[in-house]
Amino acid sequence: MTAVETTDAAVPVRTSSPAPRRAVAGGARRRRGSTFDRLLPYLLLAPAVIGILWLIGFPVVSVVVTSFRKLDLGELVRGQVVWVGLDNYAKVLSDPRFWEITLRTVVFTAVVVATSVVVGLVIALLMRQLSTPVRILLQVCMLLAWAMPIIASTTVYQWIFDQQYGILNKILVKLGFDYAGHSWFSTGTATLSVIGLLIVWQAIPFLAFSLYAGVIGVPADLYEAAGIDGATAWQTFRAVTWPELKPLLMMVTFLSLLWDFKVFTQIWVFKEGGPSGGSTTLPVLQYLEGISQSHFGVAAAVSVLMVVILTLLTVSYLRKLLQTQEGKL
Amino acid sequence: MNAKKVSANVVAVLVAAFFAFPTYWMVTTALKPKKDLLSSSFDLIPSSVTSGNFVTAWTKPGFLQSLGNSLLVSLSAVVAALVIGLLAALAMSRMRFRGRKGFVMLMLVAQMAPFEALLIPMFLMMRDLGLYQQLSSLILIYFAVTLPFCAWTLRGFVNGIPIELEEAAMVDGCGRWGAFRRVTLPLLGPGLVATSVFAFITAWNEFLFAKVMVRAEDKETLPVWLSGFQSAFGTDWGGAMAASALFTVPVLVFFLIVQRKMVTGVTAGAVKG
Repeated sequence: MTAVETTDAAVPVRTSSPAPRRAVAGGARRRRGSTFDRLLPYLLLAPAVIGILWLIGFPVVSVVVTSFRKLDLGELVRGQVVWVGLDNYAKVLSDPRFWEITLRTVVFTAVVVATSVVVGLVIALLMRQLSTPVRILLQVCMLLAWAMPIIASTTVYQWIFDQQYGILNKILVKLGFDYAGHSWFSTGTATLSVIGLLIVWQAIPFLAFSLYAGVIGVPADLYEAAGIDGATAWQTFRAVTWPELKPLLMMVTFLSLLWDFKVFTQIWVFKEGGPSGGSTTLPVLQYLEGISQSHFGVAAAVSVLMVVILTLLTVSYLRKLLQTQEGKL
Repeated sequence: MNAKKVSANVVAVLVAAFFAFPTYWMVTTALKPKKDLLSSSFDLIPSSVTSGNFVTAWTKPGFLQSLGNSLLVSLSAVVAALVIGLLAALAMSRMRFRGRKGFVMLMLVAQMAPFEALLIPMFLMMRDLGLYQQLSSLILIYFAVTLPFCAWTLRGFVNGIPIELEEAAMVDGCGRWGAFRRVTLPLLGPGLVATSVFAFITAWNEFLFAKVMVRAEDKETLPVWLSGFQSAFGTDWGGAMAASALFTVPVLVFFLIVQRKMVTGVTAGAVKG
């Protein structure tokens, strides 16, 4: 399954070339272009590094600096720099609404990530048991969900959950439930549940495909051995599948945390964080403070706190990842 | 087939239906005549079919304009990120030089940068540069979002091409550039396609920055235009679904081409043990 490896040896290698030529050509090149050769990697890297430092590095510094300034529309237009120290943080952290929103964001992220990873794993394990046509059917259907642009899927979900003419209410009525004209967005929790379903629905395909690639990578003789030893399905999973799959599972959980914590599009398009702020999460708060109300300093403080919380959630894995990558280089 | 296998297959078909239903519902709604949509009758299967909604969406003011904006912004950003990312990937993967480790780590960390948290400084920066309300601000931002991903992923793909192939070409008299162009680049083709498609989809989907950086109607990208469909379409769900379907088609086509490659590409760095 690794794309990287499929390209190996795809090109016929001519091995019959005369050896002496190599020494001559190589030697000449080394003498001629040594300075250029030494500079070449830096020249190749320069555009990327400049781009990253300018468009990512600078904003990272700037968001921290801005969070110590009073920067509303007035200061922005006048180009005034007003330092207020930790005032913005004090303002944000002393607001009970901030803690409520933070708690909501963390719980929402945790539920969405846990649900999508567990269901993704179950589907990956299920796929191994399927006959080929059913497996392909399942894969194609998941691909449809995965590929749908976020705004398109959000629009479709709004239509499915529509109060008056939505197909969901119609189906529930047909099944004998009293859901005619039921509103799925009357409270913040209800709204976030629908949004959570949408996010989980779109997140599972990637997770299931990745984990399935891991599942079929588990050596078959391990299963045979477990079968000979008379292991139950659960024991086989615990002893064979789980240890093989754990690194991959950690990786996709980490990625899911990164992605789901900062969800903005779906929440905003559904109810703009409503009803009455009930589905507002940290990215929405940042948008409301900064862009809607032009309190850029306060919004920057929210951004910094967002990154701090996200780092706290992922720190143990992050440290491991960076260490392993560094070791590999 | 034993009972266990049968039940697994039955469950799988139900799961498949769950995943496919929104697509099914989007397409059938888009094909239904207007009078059928706002009715309380049970209409899981369409009784009549029309292409009217697609015509409505296509000719709606702003659709073609925002489609063009989206294409312009996404393609420019991705081409730039791909070319610059490839140069960096070649250096990181093929060359030995002081500080290489640091550069690789920079790409890895930059890739994890939570861009949403950079909304405020990005906004202020684009304003200072005089790019607020300009599509070029979005090109720069999408370039920055996709660049570390492109560099990192392409590095993986280049690593997968044995350096011996290039050396063999150089033995045969190719220069370094010739070896790259004749050997590495063709082998890198599938990796380049996969990387660019995923970078393209990221840009194509992006909503937050598109909403903040350009407010003028003629500069809207397709996601922003579509999100405002309530005002554009009223309760015309048929038109909204047709527009959503048109928005989905290019992505779906790309996806089918490269899906298998990317699963492994994204998770290639999984921590072992």
